[in-house]
Amino acid sequence: MNMSRAGKLSVAVTALLALAGGFVGVSAATASQPNSHVQPQTAVTGETYVIGTDTTFAPFEYRKDGELTGIDMDLIRDIAANQGFNVEIKSLGFDAALQALQSNQVDGVIAGMSITDERKLVFDFSDPYFDSGVQMAVADTNTEITGYADLAGETVVAKRGSEGETFANSIKDEYGFTVKALADSATMYDDVKAGNSVAVFDDYPVLAYGINQNNGLKSVTEKEQGSSYGFAVNKGQNPELLAAFNTGLAELKSNGDYQSILDKYLEQPAPVAASGFFGLLSDSLPALMKGLGLTLLATGLSILVALVLGVLFGFCKVSESRVLRGLASIYVSIFRGTPLLVQAFFFYFGLPQLTGQPIDVLTAGVLTLSLNAGAYMTEIVRGGIQSVDPGQTEAGRSLGLGYVTTMRRVVLPQAVKIMTPSFINQFVMTLKDTSLLAVIGFAELTYQGQQIYAANFRTGETLLIVAALYFIVINLLTMLSNQLDKRFNK
Amino acid sequence: MSKNSAGSRIPAGSKVSVRGLRKSFGSNEVLKGLDVEISEGEVVCVIGPSGSGKSTFLRCLNKLDELSAGTVIVDGFNLSDKTVDLNEVRQHIGMVFQHFNLFPHMTVLQNIMLAPVELKKQSTATARASALKLLDRVGLAEKADARPAQLSGGQKQRVAIARSLAVNPDIMLFDEATSALDPEMVGEVLQVIRDLAAEGMTMVVVTHEMGFAREVADRVIFMADGVIVEEGTPAELFGNPQQERTQDFLSKVL
Repeated sequence: MNMSRAGKLSVAVTALLALAGGFVGVSAATASQPNSHVQPQTAVTGETYVIGTDTTFAPFEYRKDGELTGIDMDLIRDIAANQGFNVEIKSLGFDAALQALQSNQVDGVIAGMSITDERKLVFDFSDPYFDSGVQMAVADTNTEITGYADLAGETVVAKRGSEGETFANSIKDEYGFTVKALADSATMYDDVKAGNSVAVFDDYPVLAYGINQNNGLKSVTEKEQGSSYGFAVNKGQNPELLAAFNTGLAELKSNGDYQSILDKYLEQPAPVAASGFFGLLSDSLPALMKGLGLTLLATGLSILVALVLGVLFGFCKVSESRVLRGLASIYVSIFRGTPLLVQAFFFYFGLPQLTGQPIDVLTAGVLTLSLNAGAYMTEIVRGGIQSVDPGQTEAGRSLGLGYVTTMRRVVLPQAVKIMTPSFINQFVMTLKDTSLLAVIGFAELTYQGQQIYAANFRTGETLLIVAALYFIVINLLTMLSNQLDKRFNK
Repeated sequence: MSKNSAGSRIPAGSKVSVRGLRKSFGSNEVLKGLDVEISEGEVVCVIGPSGSGKSTFLRCLNKLDELSAGTVIVDGFNLSDKTVDLNEVRQHIGMVFQHFNLFPHMTVLQNIMLAPVELKKQSTATARASALKLLDRVGLAEKADARPAQLSGGQKQRVAIARSLAVNPDIMLFDEATSALDPEMVGEVLQVIRDLAAEGMTMVVVTHEMGFAREVADRVIFMADGVIVEEGTPAELFGNPQQERTQDFLSKVL
């Protein structure tokens, strides 16, 4: 599974928390209050819990027709119904879900997570609800590899930090093969189909489901004895939720509901024929358009805020005050000098840990993009103003016009004209940068695309559609902007 | 003098009074102590080799450049006084630049109307009428709605002069107003300046046009290396220069 990597991550995050000291400890403890309960231990009835999960880890969680489904999803919903509480599912990605749990952004995580000693240090686990194991698969056209012994001299692929990787590494010397690590199942399967690796080591339910979805692979070994999956809450938090999960799980097992959920996803149904490209297009378009809407929303909001920031700090940069200039320079160097991805992680995961205030993903995303784009806008505004001939200011001032009037009537109209192409450029950049917000689980266009190909394994075609949507929207907006530029900046 | 809203207005005989003016850019001293008196209606031409400090001297008269030391009193305003309202002062001093510095995003008329409308709260209609009158005076009435980019160099400079006249200045400063012009356009601009002189405008003209200086100036100042080397009437300075450097310079340009 995707496991020990997150184990390491947890340790790192815990260390960070420890560094931040008592302040964080106190605020983190209070952060879960809004979600928690007047009388802990007793009532989960009527409560709503926020549950984090992976984006796609079929068959445990994945999207079908835009809806989250899978073993984990059915299980947590049925247990919630059984125990009388409500769940709000947040599809964040595995690492992100664990970080969200640690920062109390979510109350629990169910994400096909193995119960390990490392994780037990930072989380409290439920009773195991599934026994997994590693299995090997090869391309369905491959007749040469039928067991580990055929792997000598070959390269195999496994998910980074997963049990599959651990297992493959444990036998690679014995059988003489090389292990390559990739980030997710869909990519690994593509790697095997493309012939870059001869075999993949992955969790058997995942493999079984993929093969069933015509992913072009076949399993060639029995599954190895593996670990057990558990539902987790933050250490010492939400004990009543954990208890309710255990009670509910036991009831589902005894009333047969548990088994029918497993059968629904793991029984070998007849393979379904893949639909054509246009079938894929019409199937995926609703979810992609929803993603596109969020992409445009985040872009629009971010550009507006960035424009305000850019004008504000841009004027600071050309002002005569050393303090204002310094302030603007610090702002610009911070946000130009750090990667956008790191900023996104910081605002979504780091900030809540520092302040104790949970932050929703749209706010975090817009905050990231607008502060980042604002830094570039600042430079655009500064450059625009400074590129206006100083003789223009001199002419204005020598007529007796004040600084503000000269700026407003003489310099700015010319500067705006100079800045406009750069503004349009920044607008397009910011629109594309929204795709990075997929990593914090913001359901924009790229994220929706990832969801789709993770479930249907048609990576190339899906990405082609996603890219085409970006291309069309960006070019339409660029054309529109250029038209406006021509009309207003003659 | 009735315009005394800017605090430190000094009633004086001279329109311009400069005492011990020094100006440095970093460690480079460009003006090394100038003393100049200019009386009302006087036309003073400043000549000298490039780098002599002529333009800097001019820019100190409306404080586009800060003064490093000395006093400058223009039209009764003491520019060395930090509390003086420069925006008020500059409305009494028109300035014309070598590169015109017209506002390219406005029409000719808008260029001229900008300051009167913004400063004196003239109604647009009044400002427009006086702007048209000024354009007529510089012979460009038909260019009112043209953009600066559509004008020749000479026309641009005439518009620039009209623009600076629009705030009714008492003094006009010309900073090499014809240096960036093609030779055939120099005449039309000089004619406008000549007309202004005839109307009794007090003017300081930094120029390379020796013929013009000889014809129009009441007094010619020869500057070199940041000091005034010699000054006098055109007849004196051009006809009988006393200093070797003046003779040297004139022998090269005449």
